[in-house]
Amino acid sequence: MRSHSTPSVCALLALSLLLNACGQPETSPKTDLDRPYPSEAGGTQIDAMPAEPSGLIAMIAGESAASAVASNLFNSLLKYDKNLELVGELAQSWQISDDQKTITFTLKPDMKWSDGKPLTSADVLFTWKVVTDENTRTPYGADYKLVKQAETPDALTFRVSYEQPYAPALDTWAGLQILPKHLLEGQDINTTAFARKPVGSHYYQLQEWRNGERISLTRNPNATQGQANIERLVSRFIPDAASQFLELLADNIDLMNLNPIQYARIVPARPELQQKLGLYKELGNSYTYMGFNLKHKPFDDIRVRQAINYAIDKQEIIDGVLLGLGEPVASPYKPGTRWSNPALKPYPYDVARALSLLKEAGYQDHDGDGILDRDGKPLSFEILTNQNKQREMAAVLIQRRLKEIGIDASIRVLEWASFVGRYIKTGDFDVVVLGWSLSLDPDQYGIWHSSQQQPGQFNFIGYNNPRVDELLERGRFELDPDKRQTIYHEFASLLLQDSPIVYLFAGYGLPAIHKRIKGIDNPAPPAGIGHNAYEWYIPRPLRRNEIAVE
Amino acid sequence: MIKYLLKRLFWMVPLLVGISLVSFLIMHLAPGDITTTEAGFNPKASEESRQKLREIYNLDKPITVQYGLWLKRMATLDFGTSFASHQRPVFWEKTDQQGNVSKGLIQEALPITLLINVLSLTVIIAVALPLGIVSALTQNRPPDRAITLFVFIGFAIPGFWLALVLMYWTGVVNSWLPISGLHSLQYDQMHWLGKIADTLKHLALPVFISSLSGLAGIALFVRNGMLDVLHQDYITTARAKGLPENSVVYRHALRNALLPLITIFGLSIPGLIGGSVIAESIFAIPGMGKLFYDAVLMRDFPVIMGILTIGSALTLLGNLLADLAYAWADPRVRRGVLK
Repeated sequence: MRSHSTPSVCALLALSLLLNACGQPETSPKTDLDRPYPSEAGGTQIDAMPAEPSGLIAMIAGESAASAVASNLFNSLLKYDKNLELVGELAQSWQISDDQKTITFTLKPDMKWSDGKPLTSADVLFTWKVVTDENTRTPYGADYKLVKQAETPDALTFRVSYEQPYAPALDTWAGLQILPKHLLEGQDINTTAFARKPVGSHYYQLQEWRNGERISLTRNPNATQGQANIERLVSRFIPDAASQFLELLADNIDLMNLNPIQYARIVPARPELQQKLGLYKELGNSYTYMGFNLKHKPFDDIRVRQAINYAIDKQEIIDGVLLGLGEPVASPYKPGTRWSNPALKPYPYDVARALSLLKEAGYQDHDGDGILDRDGKPLSFEILTNQNKQREMAAVLIQRRLKEIGIDASIRVLEWASFVGRYIKTGDFDVVVLGWSLSLDPDQYGIWHSSQQQPGQFNFIGYNNPRVDELLERGRFELDPDKRQTIYHEFASLLLQDSPIVYLFAGYGLPAIHKRIKGIDNPAPPAGIGHNAYEWYIPRPLRRNEIAVE
Repeated sequence: MIKYLLKRLFWMVPLLVGISLVSFLIMHLAPGDITTTEAGFNPKASEESRQKLREIYNLDKPITVQYGLWLKRMATLDFGTSFASHQRPVFWEKTDQQGNVSKGLIQEALPITLLINVLSLTVIIAVALPLGIVSALTQNRPPDRAITLFVFIGFAIPGFWLALVLMYWTGVVNSWLPISGLHSLQYDQMHWLGKIADTLKHLALPVFISSLSGLAGIALFVRNGMLDVLHQDYITTARAKGLPENSVVYRHALRNALLPLITIFGLSIPGLIGGSVIAESIFAIPGMGKLFYDAVLMRDFPVIMGILTIGSALTLLGNLLADLAYAWADPRVRRGVLK
């Protein structure tokens, strides 16, 4: 009966042959990655994105994957430079009228779309009309609807007038990507095929979009901002971060953002990785916080909020969750930029202070069960967060520190849509761990103004401070940067004092880039490592030999 | 026979409606809708615009009205368009006035998933059948024990972990196979033979991983079926007649032992269109599992309902086919059906 095992052996053998026969080892030529090379054009850079964009018109698609690709295809009137100051992109210059209600943009002359047609103020006006149109399904129209009148006196001039001075206006014009009128006029912007075969004006144009697999861009010969060095950008859609990392190790992609463990533990431990990968560090774009529901007791009591703030060791969270790769923040602005108030310091870790504040608020362990109580009710609450490893880990560390001073916190982790739909919108929560972006424009009216507490609005913690309301209103009318700075410095210090949220950390972005890519600014300026990506280059000897597309 | 078939087909309609109603209700029980995405949680996105979106998609209407609207569209086999901002058709491509074709979501994901699942089903059968037979013939002896151990390890091993380990070993350490994706970058410049080889290379690991976990079930099924049959009187009779062992095993025992497999294959038809989210995410394969999972996270109701409807229709059809095949293979069942 032994002979009957033959079929199975054959099958296994066939399978293993199939597996083996498919790959020949590729030999990678030994090239010196570290010596300097002169800058030259050409080459392909491959990166990975966790999700596929739903379209390439950023205002319609709305998600970060779309913006990431579209920002290589389209220009805005203004942009942020490496130090996060506003400079012209399509606009050569701009003037603000004396009453601060009118902004006049002068476009650079002789600009073209990638199809060769001229790019003029008519395109800008068209884009404004699209974004403010009632039928356009964009979540970002509100800012542009404040424009009372938009006009184009000539082909290079675009003028907008506001009902009242609107300080974030310039920032909004840095966020609106200008679309070509000649291709989109008369089309339904929500469903147009243009979203999948766009024509833009920036460094790159779309070469190929393979659904579910990758997007390839190639240099735009008519680029309005000059020519980029790298000839071709390929973004592969790889949802799983571990797979992305393997692709990076196997040299199939050139750059990705690492997590702290990969950055601080895996790469440094392996010399062959250190040899080929450059590690960079940039300021992240968001901060993680723990927010109190100010409409719930006992969080309406400032002493309780401050006590909890003192009881949380932020540095411990940064060390534990981010392996030290982050910064504590004390205001909702990027540290080092003008809006961030350098005088503000986070609440130090101070258990004695916390306990005395709680005692003042009436909380003591009367019944001796180890949990503080007031009027017979123990100080206990639930920390809600969504499925995000860093937030979950931070919540666990917070839970332990609170337990030490006699506060009983439990943790609940939820899927995003349920989290927002069931808890945030209804205001049915005690404490959340979430994140907000460190916005480039200081206006944060939508998050902190007391009028923004309706279901679906963003002051869901119910923060209400008349002085802060007043500052936020004034800040929107004030276009002078220095006066604005004073306003927002005061705002941030009131916010810190009121402690409606506990700032936990702002993590670093941790890009790893293959050393074949040269011309990268290190250390990264405030705008991040990618601010001069058009100057990056791949010297010919270091290019992948497998891709011969030229 | 025809009457039986018609009756079965007729009863599928109320069943399908029932299934769709239940899935529709359960789906809407989950809090949140298309406007509560993480990207929408942005102070620059106003609540008015989200409300507008809800009105466009009828999400502000009572759930019964929404279900009625959906049923009305389904009656004309219109699966609708996705709620996501690309608004692509759920099922099949549509062409607009300018002649731009926008491909259906299921249309693109289904062939990929189908290919992987058919390949892995083939591998499973090709490997599990011989394993099961050998196992039965050497019952409780070392080959049987070894095979059982092997298939159970395959069943128990976490697929995502093995996938990552194999990706590392065959992709990073040895560069035998590509790590993720479906095609190489230079796919378009390849000769057609090269294209096939390239696709097979990309599919080797996903197919291997998904077959490994299915191996145990089928192999043990064959083994037990064989053992049952081998102890039947007619096998003893066949042996007593002096038939060669091969003939006893393959003509008399195996054919009868395989009958229950028909049911399993019938039931695996809907599984053919369902992909594994984890495997597809790890291997970056744009298949049905990822499509469904993302749709659920986004509360993209038309896509969820589209996939569920097609899935349940196929399940019912699979059951019917299994019954018919059973009747075809087994005269005793056939007589029961015809009665």
